[in-house]
Amino acid sequence: MMKALAMPFRPAEDGDRTRKGIVVLLLLAAVLFVACLLSLGIGPTGVDLHDLWIYATGSGASLSTQERVILEAVRLPRTALGLLVGAGLAVSGAMMQGLFRNPLADPGIVGVTSGAGLAAVAAIVLGNGILAPVAMVLGNQFLPLMAFFGGLFNTWMLYLIATRDGRTSTTTLILSGIAIGALSAALMGLMIVMADDRQLRDITFWSLGSLGGATFGRVFSILPFIGAVIVIIPFVARGLDALVLGDAAAFHMGIPVQRLKKIVIVAVAAACGSTVAVAGSIGFVGIVVPHLLRLVMGPSHRFLLPGSALGGGALLLIADCVARTVAAPAELPIGVVTALFGAPVFLFLLLGKNGITMRDMP
Amino acid sequence: MGSSFTFRGLFAAVLLGASLAAGVASASDKGNPEAKRIVSIGGTITEILYALGAEDRIVARDSTSFYPDAATSKPDVGYMRALSAEGILGQKPDLILMEEGSGPPPVIEILKASEVPMVVIPTPPKADLIGRKIRDVGAAVGLSDKAEALAVKTEEGLKKLAADVAKIPGPKKKVLFVLSLTNNRVMAGGADTEAGAVIEMAGGVNAAPTINGYKPLADEGVIAAKPDVVLSMSRGDHALTPEQVFATPSMQTTPAAANKALVTMDGLLLLGFGPRTPDAARSLAAQIYPGAIN
Amino acid sequence: MISAENVTVTRAGRKLIDNVGLDLEPGRFTVVIGPNGAGKSTLMKVISGEMKPDTGFVSYHGASVDLCQPVDLARRRAVLPQATQLAFPFTALEIVRMGAVAQGALNPTEQARQALSRVGLRGFESRPYPSLSGGEQQRVQFARALAQVPQPVADGVPRALFLDEPTASLDLGHQISVLEIARDFADAGGIVLAILHDLNLAAEFADHLVVLNHGRVVAEGACLETVNDEIIASVYGIAGAVGRIPAAHIPYVLPQSRHR
Repeated sequence: MMKALAMPFRPAEDGDRTRKGIVVLLLLAAVLFVACLLSLGIGPTGVDLHDLWIYATGSGASLSTQERVILEAVRLPRTALGLLVGAGLAVSGAMMQGLFRNPLADPGIVGVTSGAGLAAVAAIVLGNGILAPVAMVLGNQFLPLMAFFGGLFNTWMLYLIATRDGRTSTTTLILSGIAIGALSAALMGLMIVMADDRQLRDITFWSLGSLGGATFGRVFSILPFIGAVIVIIPFVARGLDALVLGDAAAFHMGIPVQRLKKIVIVAVAAACGSTVAVAGSIGFVGIVVPHLLRLVMGPSHRFLLPGSALGGGALLLIADCVARTVAAPAELPIGVVTALFGAPVFLFLLLGKNGITMRDMP
Repeated sequence: MGSSFTFRGLFAAVLLGASLAAGVASASDKGNPEAKRIVSIGGTITEILYALGAEDRIVARDSTSFYPDAATSKPDVGYMRALSAEGILGQKPDLILMEEGSGPPPVIEILKASEVPMVVIPTPPKADLIGRKIRDVGAAVGLSDKAEALAVKTEEGLKKLAADVAKIPGPKKKVLFVLSLTNNRVMAGGADTEAGAVIEMAGGVNAAPTINGYKPLADEGVIAAKPDVVLSMSRGDHALTPEQVFATPSMQTTPAAANKALVTMDGLLLLGFGPRTPDAARSLAAQIYPGAIN
Repeated sequence: MISAENVTVTRAGRKLIDNVGLDLEPGRFTVVIGPNGAGKSTLMKVISGEMKPDTGFVSYHGASVDLCQPVDLARRRAVLPQATQLAFPFTALEIVRMGAVAQGALNPTEQARQALSRVGLRGFESRPYPSLSGGEQQRVQFARALAQVPQPVADGVPRALFLDEPTASLDLGHQISVLEIARDFADAGGIVLAILHDLNLAAEFADHLVVLNHGRVVAEGACLETVNDEIIASVYGIAGAVGRIPAAHIPYVLPQSRHR
């Protein structure tokens, strides 16, 4: 095992990275576990793991109301949400990169994030205006629901544009994604112009992302979508591997390519739409996590996809710990933290001596 | 079967709604007269607390609370619409005072569930409700007597101002409130804003009554508004200069430009509806109508 | 047997393949030759099931290829593509393993190792694919195809190897060894269809030669009948090159004359 770890950036001598893959997955699971403990045990109120232990072992009566509220209403849902959002974003990123055969692809490519952003801005700006009746009825769920359906709508549009005779062309998908993204941004700009001061601040904070609004209601509402994108992993891993050789080669190896594309796009859109809906837009996780993992365990999706789920969850939980302790008692938006750490790490990987050399990249 | 299901569902929804409403009512009614660790959210709430002499009982405030200066040395729990539940609870408060509109809603729910006494103070931008705001804050912290005195003083100040303003001769001047001027784009204060209300208190007329809220005003709108005076905010050391304002193309042809009539006042002083408002409005009136009022 | 009947493919008003019929029999090494743009790759795409023809149909042992699921097709035939770009640095072993997995092998990693040995790339398992030379990459792809159909005949049904210019980046020695592996595959009862641009190699290895030009079959049959001055001249525009020794000062290398 140590030998496998000792050469993180070169494949094992016999070319088979299965053992290393399993080892790294186990390590990631351990890191995720630690990250969960950190997330549950760190915070400005001083409620710590000892209190968590008391709570978990049933003698919760000895905790004060406030300590119990912190654990139940703040730490637990926040940890659960961070885990799900991080896993969902990272797995979606890895799947998109496989589908588009490009390590820089992120879930935003299918239009989810621009659609969700547009819908969220519309909710904020028009929620007191044209959309007021809807906002009244849906209350706190208005913005998340708008964002979710906005994301799905955009993806659906994109998919329709890029699919002819049942075949989805990845090139057309990318190009039309750019076009639809530009359109969404223009419409957002229009609404920003109409927005007043308070709405502008709301938009800004939303677009930086935050796990601060975590409730178990939100956790359960995104659980089916994140669950879906994770459950399909065993079914799409082989197909995404084969897709790296091209649509034709994948078909020749028995992969139902169009069906694979459809399943992946729908699952990613649903997962990302739901994460954006409850946590705003959080960047970098979908690109950095799969990329880091590819360097360590190789590009085979059998290990990359589950690894991304574990690593993404861990990364987001750690970022959230930073977000809520660095500027305490205020909170940094988590999108800021992921970008602040993600970008330099990414650059370091690209430029460092253990990083990708020209020989390894096509 | 179907109809009884929907009936039960409806019944449950009504019950739930009622219990939530009841929950909300009870939570926001509770104050804590003995509170020693108050978290104060909202610039004017903090200001009122200081005016009531309760500053030693404040343990943290939000980022919009920067008057008086001493308040800025207290821990900052973030922007009032992007609060952190655990951040606030980490200050171990025994009372949370917040302006209406604080958020985000899930955080407010968590704070309610924590059973820390929490009072939400309504803050519509109306001069005649300042007294109520002061009394509400006073009641929440057990300083009703002082609050009554302060409220009365403030209300008298407003009455006296209204009387003095009524005596100002001549036509009312049109005042255009400019929130910001980036890229030569004027963000103006419209009908139901604090700025609009203060302008009227000071005996002026809002030059942009047709827009609602703080919205960008098109160049032609600015010209059509024909403001006699431009009013802008300062924050700390940042303030717009007459050169900047009147160099803006849309402003150049306004009557205000001819007289270089720019009034700059501190933002919180001007727009926060609190105990300083009578003085703020009086100062504004004095700058709009130089010599007509003291 | 795999047959194509009356297959026509039209794109942008041009007929890429015009009413072509072809029978691929087990135990026979079929080679398709022709100039660029003759429709060779298109024909292979249609026969492999990747492309649906505008008219005509393709059948595998009697069953129309339309009705086959990709998974079943994958068990019956493997395709070696002309060129492959790779976006991610898989190792040679991992790529060949994909072929074995497509076959449904129970021990795909082991099968992959064997396939790599067969093409002479033992020891290359851990090399990242993008770091290999063009020829080595081509042989890895060939190994992948071999891993996908390891047995020429399985459960009484002959399997097929479709090779699209398998010799493109290879040096002469490797060209011959690749074709010899394909030859063995056919000899053992498998179906082989190869597109070759080297006429000498085609002449040696083909049991059945198909000459394609402008989307039509201009000649078909045993090499002795199809490789002659007339056909080569009409298709390639070169006269008098068949069976003649060049001028004395020009040496000539005929791979098919080699020592065995």
